[in-house]
Amino acid sequence: MPRVVVTGLGPVSSIGTGIEEFARGLRAGRSGISEITGFDVSGFPHRRGGEVHDFAPEATLRRLTPAEWGRSSQFAAVAARLAATDGGFDPAGDEPGRAGAVIGTTSGESVVMEALTEQIVTTGFDGMSPGLLEQLPANRLAHAVSAELGLTGESLTLATACSASNYAIGYAYDLVHSGQADVMFAGGADSVCRWAHAGFFRLGALTKDACTPFDRDRSGILTGEGGAILMLESLEHARRRGARIYAEVLGYGLNCDANHPVAPDAASIADCMRTAQRNAGVKPSEVDYVCAHGTGTPANDTVEARAIFEVFGPKPPPVSSIKSMIGHTMGAASGFGAIAAIFAIDRGFLPPTINWTTPDPAFADLDPVPNTARQARVRVVQNNGFAFGGNNAITLFGALA
Amino acid sequence: MTGLVVTGWSSITAAGVGEAPPLEPLPAARVTDLFEEALPEESAPVLTGFDVRAHLGRKGTGSYDRATALATTACGEALKAGSVEVNDATRGRIGVVLGTTVGSFRSTSDYSRDTLVQEKPYLVNPLLFPNTVMNCAAGQAAIRHGLKGVNSTVAGGPLAFHQALRYAANALERGYADVMLVGCVEEYSPHRAWQTAAARRSGPTGEGTAVFVVERADAARRPGSTVQAEVLAVATAFGWGDAAADALAGCVLRVLREAGVTAGEVTAVATGDAQEYEPAARALGHRPERVTVSELYGQCDAATGGLSLGALLGRRLGGVALLTARTRDGGVGAALVRGPS
Repeated sequence: MPRVVVTGLGPVSSIGTGIEEFARGLRAGRSGISEITGFDVSGFPHRRGGEVHDFAPEATLRRLTPAEWGRSSQFAAVAARLAATDGGFDPAGDEPGRAGAVIGTTSGESVVMEALTEQIVTTGFDGMSPGLLEQLPANRLAHAVSAELGLTGESLTLATACSASNYAIGYAYDLVHSGQADVMFAGGADSVCRWAHAGFFRLGALTKDACTPFDRDRSGILTGEGGAILMLESLEHARRRGARIYAEVLGYGLNCDANHPVAPDAASIADCMRTAQRNAGVKPSEVDYVCAHGTGTPANDTVEARAIFEVFGPKPPPVSSIKSMIGHTMGAASGFGAIAAIFAIDRGFLPPTINWTTPDPAFADLDPVPNTARQARVRVVQNNGFAFGGNNAITLFGALA
Repeated sequence: MTGLVVTGWSSITAAGVGEAPPLEPLPAARVTDLFEEALPEESAPVLTGFDVRAHLGRKGTGSYDRATALATTACGEALKAGSVEVNDATRGRIGVVLGTTVGSFRSTSDYSRDTLVQEKPYLVNPLLFPNTVMNCAAGQAAIRHGLKGVNSTVAGGPLAFHQALRYAANALERGYADVMLVGCVEEYSPHRAWQTAAARRSGPTGEGTAVFVVERADAARRPGSTVQAEVLAVATAFGWGDAAADALAGCVLRVLREAGVTAGEVTAVATGDAQEYEPAARALGHRPERVTVSELYGQCDAATGGLSLGALLGRRLGGVALLTARTRDGGVGAALVRGPS
């Protein structure tokens, strides 16, 4: 069966847009956290998040008119265009229908949803703008990518919350691996919004100033936003056109806690890791780095660390969380994790967990790559994604052997 | 693709819980009596008297929104109808994939509304926060029925059921799951009713859900399960703007080819909207009977594809049916299904 490789990367993040900026941000341990401006935060005790400032979709998009699309679709389309440019994507000469898009999201067009809700509050239901209503359906995230890049294959939005990018990468990998597609653009997008900020605050899961994953005193997430898309293609297709190959997608695993809508489950997450490793043909000892889900909530990091020790034994590989830098970008989160994982393989550095000061005695032997990026020779990376609804999804990437 | 079979199914519409959707208009109810908010219509074919507690009990169902209640109930009914045994040996191999448009428009908008109208913007109900996330129904169905396998939510709007079938087919073919519950759901709410009205679409807004027990047709199938329909092939694609009709016709040709079925064997075409029929008929080269459930049940958006299949199976579909779908923005799909002979 065809092997699947990554040949293009498109990050649109609070620490940089495009691979060089994003890589520089990760390597420098830059923080993308600032006071939120996308909505009025004055009534909230906590006011910070990982917004993408100065987002200028018109500078990158070639086919879409940004005003016709919601913010999350714009993130997806810009990230996809960046990935396509990076990967030298050229559909000319390919059989039609063999390239597609799979985009993950938590809240879809949340900014559009909130604008409509304001119209309902201000003028009533009949005040909802037809133009905004047309922008609301979440299928438009994938369609924005397909339309922007002229893709005629599957165009699918997967709405599996905060692991959705890993779902998308996994499904896209399957389509290429099983010979149903040559090229797939896969990843995720989400936008910072008021209701999620409020909801996480009321769950007691939102921190005030800085996200500090795996620190003893961690106190929650900061919401973030952006788009993170990978160009996947079959190895043969990539070689035929002489493409630069970043890494190979080795496989992935999915499962469902079927236990609690918001509380993670260590045994189930450990099972998901084993499933992903088995599907990818990777032994725990072969994994050089774990790009963690690492939200920075007390519960997630404890549960994730416990599952890691259960699967990897007492000396697991380094485990860091890029959410310390960009916040929790929801449906884009494991897409950014995948890009960081590929940098680890292709550029030989582990992104740090910034804001880290104090080990948690509950997992004292976990190495979070504290505060400073580390040079390392990395062959295999495991990229974790967990979500509300118990939707666990883990992808594995490896250096092309 | 490997052929798939449906070995049990259930749907919930105004016709009732577990009743096959009829090939006639569903009874309309006075929605103005059911909702406090203003509505653009007095009556619509919605469920009256549906109470999730009657089906699933009180425990754990208090936080469900309407879409979650409908889908979770239908998943349970489908498991029963297909005699799927859920135990510690099987639960990790039984998955769920549900289709939606935005999850519950109402749950999400009401939550957002609270950040505007409450005394403080953060005075939202933390217990209802998961209802704002589009995977709520699939996650709750897994919790309620103890299903720990692949669990996914496809946000495809009117194309969602076709995409859910595609997603399930992949999970089954790749060996990630043995059984997939494949369904779709849409709830009636003032939000959706006004959305339909704003788009100037014909007819009232509808609601419903349909969930199918889907397995591989080959030896991987559960011993003793009863085949109620064969899903011969499913394809989805994208055609922006003027390219959509040709993309839909292309999907029809592809499913015929993959299924090894001649166009002449297709005896019915179930379309999501009326505009799909011409490209489908063009691809088929003849004009089979047309079924368009949105004309019978109101605009059911993401639930349309599943309800169409339910309607075809309910009348003991003979021969091969083609189900088509499209989104407003260029997504298209086609599926070929053979009923019990």
